[in-house]
Amino acid sequence: MRAVGLSDSRTVGLLGAVVVALLSVSQTVRLSSQDTTRGKTVYVKWCAGCHGEDGKGDGPAAAYMLPRPRDFTGAVYQIRTTANGQLPTDADLMRSIDDGLFGTAMPGWKGRLSDAERRDVLAYLKTFSAFFADTTQRPVALAFGREPGSDARVGRQFYDSIGCRKCHGDQGRGDGPSAPTLKDDAGFPIFAADLAQSWRFNGGGDVAAIYRRLRTGLDGTPMPSFSDLIDQKFLTADELWHLAQYVRSLSPTRPPELRDVIHAPAARGALPAAPDDSAWNRVEPSWFPLVGQVIHKSRWFTPAIAGVWVQALHDGRALALRITWDDRSQSPDSAWRPFTQRVLASVAGDDSTPPAAALWPDQLIVQFPTKVPEGMERPYFLMGAATQPVYQWRWTSALRTSGRAVAGLARGIERFDSLPAGSAPAAQAVYDHGQWRLVLTRALATPDTADDLQFRTGRAIPVAFFGQDGSNGEFGTRMAVSTWYFLALDQPTPPRVFVTPVVAIAVTLGLGLVLVRRAQQRGTRA
Amino acid sequence: MKHPFWQAVGILALAFVVIEWGIPLLPGSALVPASVVLQYMVTVLAGVLIYVSDDEARWRRFREPIQAALVQPRLKPVRLGGLVVVPLVVGWIAYGQVRSAVQAPPNLRSIHPAPPAEITFRGKSMTLSGLDNPLRQHADSLPVYIAAGKRIYYQNCLPCHGDRLDGLGHFAPGFNPLPANFQDNGTIAQLTESFVFWRVAKGGPGLPREGTPWNSAMPKWEDFLTEREIWEVVLFLYDQTGWKPRTWERTAGGTR
Repeated sequence: MRAVGLSDSRTVGLLGAVVVALLSVSQTVRLSSQDTTRGKTVYVKWCAGCHGEDGKGDGPAAAYMLPRPRDFTGAVYQIRTTANGQLPTDADLMRSIDDGLFGTAMPGWKGRLSDAERRDVLAYLKTFSAFFADTTQRPVALAFGREPGSDARVGRQFYDSIGCRKCHGDQGRGDGPSAPTLKDDAGFPIFAADLAQSWRFNGGGDVAAIYRRLRTGLDGTPMPSFSDLIDQKFLTADELWHLAQYVRSLSPTRPPELRDVIHAPAARGALPAAPDDSAWNRVEPSWFPLVGQVIHKSRWFTPAIAGVWVQALHDGRALALRITWDDRSQSPDSAWRPFTQRVLASVAGDDSTPPAAALWPDQLIVQFPTKVPEGMERPYFLMGAATQPVYQWRWTSALRTSGRAVAGLARGIERFDSLPAGSAPAAQAVYDHGQWRLVLTRALATPDTADDLQFRTGRAIPVAFFGQDGSNGEFGTRMAVSTWYFLALDQPTPPRVFVTPVVAIAVTLGLGLVLVRRAQQRGTRA
Repeated sequence: MKHPFWQAVGILALAFVVIEWGIPLLPGSALVPASVVLQYMVTVLAGVLIYVSDDEARWRRFREPIQAALVQPRLKPVRLGGLVVVPLVVGWIAYGQVRSAVQAPPNLRSIHPAPPAEITFRGKSMTLSGLDNPLRQHADSLPVYIAAGKRIYYQNCLPCHGDRLDGLGHFAPGFNPLPANFQDNGTIAQLTESFVFWRVAKGGPGLPREGTPWNSAMPKWEDFLTEREIWEVVLFLYDQTGWKPRTWERTAGGTR
C-alpha cells in the first residue's frame, strides 16, 4: 500500500528500508517498548480516539471525518519539507502536532500538551511504521531558497500551463473539470482545495507554506510535487514562487473576522437586484462560518460549504441581501454523482445504510424570526419549533430560472410550510467558477403581517444561514448551519445627532479662549 | 527630563502604554475596555497632580510651560493649535457617543441554571436531586464503562467539544455560545454527575429561559443515546479531565 503513487527510484529506496526494517524488527520492537512508553500513554489518551490504538487512522471518530485521520502505519504524510515520496523530518511532524492541520479536525497541541509530551508522542507515532526504523537514512528537508519579489501575473501563466486549473478550477475554487474524480490513496473522496480560502490550507496559507506544498506535493493525495518541473527546466524556482504568490492572491489578505452584525446601509439610488451589479462592490461583506448539522437526526459531519459572505442594502422600502458562497459544483450535476456516492458511503451517520446518491440541488436558506424580538428571546436557532416558528427564505438551484425564492414558516428542521407566492422574495443568482452569488429582495413591509417578518430600520434583527451542496450528498437535514447573527438596517444619521458634538466643540473652544485671555491679562498686569 | 511638567507627561504616556498594550500581554489577560482605560488614566492623572502640587516650588515649575504656552507671543502657534485640536477631539468623542450604531443585544445567559428536581427520560421519571452515577457502584467494571464512554464521546461530542475536551472542536467556531470547555474549572468540576446527565440528556432545548435555549447547539442526546450510554460518557468526561464530580451532602437531604 505504501507503493501507491510512488516513482520507481523511491520504491527501490523504500524496499531497501523495508528489508533493513525486517532484519532489525525484533530489536526495533524491544527498543520501542523501552523508549516510547510515555509517548504511548499520551497517544492512547489523546490521539487514539481519531488515529486508532494501532495508529491505522481508524479510531472511533475516524468514520465521521473527511479527510480521514492520518494512518501512521503507512508513513505517508501530506505536510513535509522533504521531497515527494520521502519520509517527513521530525520537525515536519512536530509542526503538524504543534499547529494542527488547518481546515481539518486536527487541532494544534502546543500549549495543550507539554513539550516533553509532544516529543514523546512524536517518537511513539513513528514506531507504527517500519519506514522510520532505518535510522541510517535521515529525511532531509529540501532547500527552498528565498521568496523573490511578487509577480502574480507570471504565477497565473504557470497556473494555467502546469495544469492547476484541472482540479482547482479557473478561479481556484476547487471546481476544475477533474475535481469530481478525486480520491486519496485510500480511496476516499477528496476535494481540490478552495484556493480562495487560504486560512483553511492544511499546511498553512502563507506564500512560503504554499511554495513548500508546490515543491513537495501532498503525499497520499492527488496533489503532485512540481519540483521535477524545475529539474526539467520547464520553470525556474522563482517562477514557482510566483505561482505561490498568485495562489495566495486569490484569498483575502487576512482570514475573515467574525462580526455579530450585518449592517445594511441606506442605498443611494435603486437597490441592486442583480448579483453582479457594481453597487455591491461598495458594500462591506460579513463572513459567517457554517458547520455541520450535528444536532438533529440525520446528522451531517462533513459539510462542503465553509461559510457565506453576506452584504445588505436597503432603500427604506425594500431590502436586498447578497449571499456569496463557494461551492465546487453547480448541482445537480451528473458528473459529480459518483463523488456524491463515495461521500455518502464514506461518512458515518444516523442511518443504518447510507442513502443512495441522487441529483440533489444546491440550497441556501436565510432565516429570521417572524417578528423583530423586543427582548433577547428568539426562536430556536435550528429552524424554530412547533410552538415558535421561524420565517425563512429558501432558494435552491432548481428554482434558479424562476426569479423567486420560497418564503415560508419552519417549525423545526423537518417541517416547512411555504407561504403564498406573494410573500416570496425576488431571487437572482449566478454560478460563476465555483461560486454562487445570490441576491434576495423583498419589501420591508408586506400585507401578511402575521407570518412575514416586517423589517424595521435601526433594530438588530436576528438572522441565520443554512447551506447545502447537493453534490456533496447534502439533502434533507444534511446541511451546513449557522447560529443566530443580526441584520441592522441602518438609518441615515439624523441632523440632531450633530448638535451635541457642535455644542461640545463650541463650549470647549469658549473655555479655551477665556483661559488664554485671563492668563494674558494676568501676564500684562504682572 | 528633570522638569516636573515633562515628568508628568512622561508618566501619563507610560501609564497609557502599559494599560493599553502591556496588560493584554500578561498571561490570562485580555484587552482593557476603553472605559476602564479612562478610569485608570484619571487615577494616574490625579496621582500626578497630587505629586506636582505637593511642593510649592515644584508646582510653580510645573505650571511654567502651561503658563508660557498661554501667554508668550513666541508660542502662539502652540496656543492656536491647542485651541483647534482640543475642541475637535472633544467634538469627535461626543459624536462617537451620540451616533446611533445598531449593536447586537447583550446576551445575558446563566451558564449553570438551576436543574429541575425531576426529569422524564424516554418516558421514565428520574429524580435528579441526590442522584449519583449508578455505574460507579460497579468499581470493577469502571474501565469498561470509561472505554465505552470514550467511544461515545469520539463518535458524537468531538466535533464541538474537541479532542482535548476544551470546547474547541472543529465545528465550535460556528456556534454561539461556544461549546462547554470541560477542562475549565468552571464547568463539570463545579457540577454533580446528575446535573451533567440532565444537560446531556435534554440539551439546548431543555434549558430554562435564563439559559437562552434558543441559542444552544447542544443536541437533546436522549434522542441518540441510552441512559447507560450517557452515564458512560459522563464517567469519561471526569476520567479524561481528572476532575472529580461534586457530590451530594447526604446529611442535608440532598442540596448541591
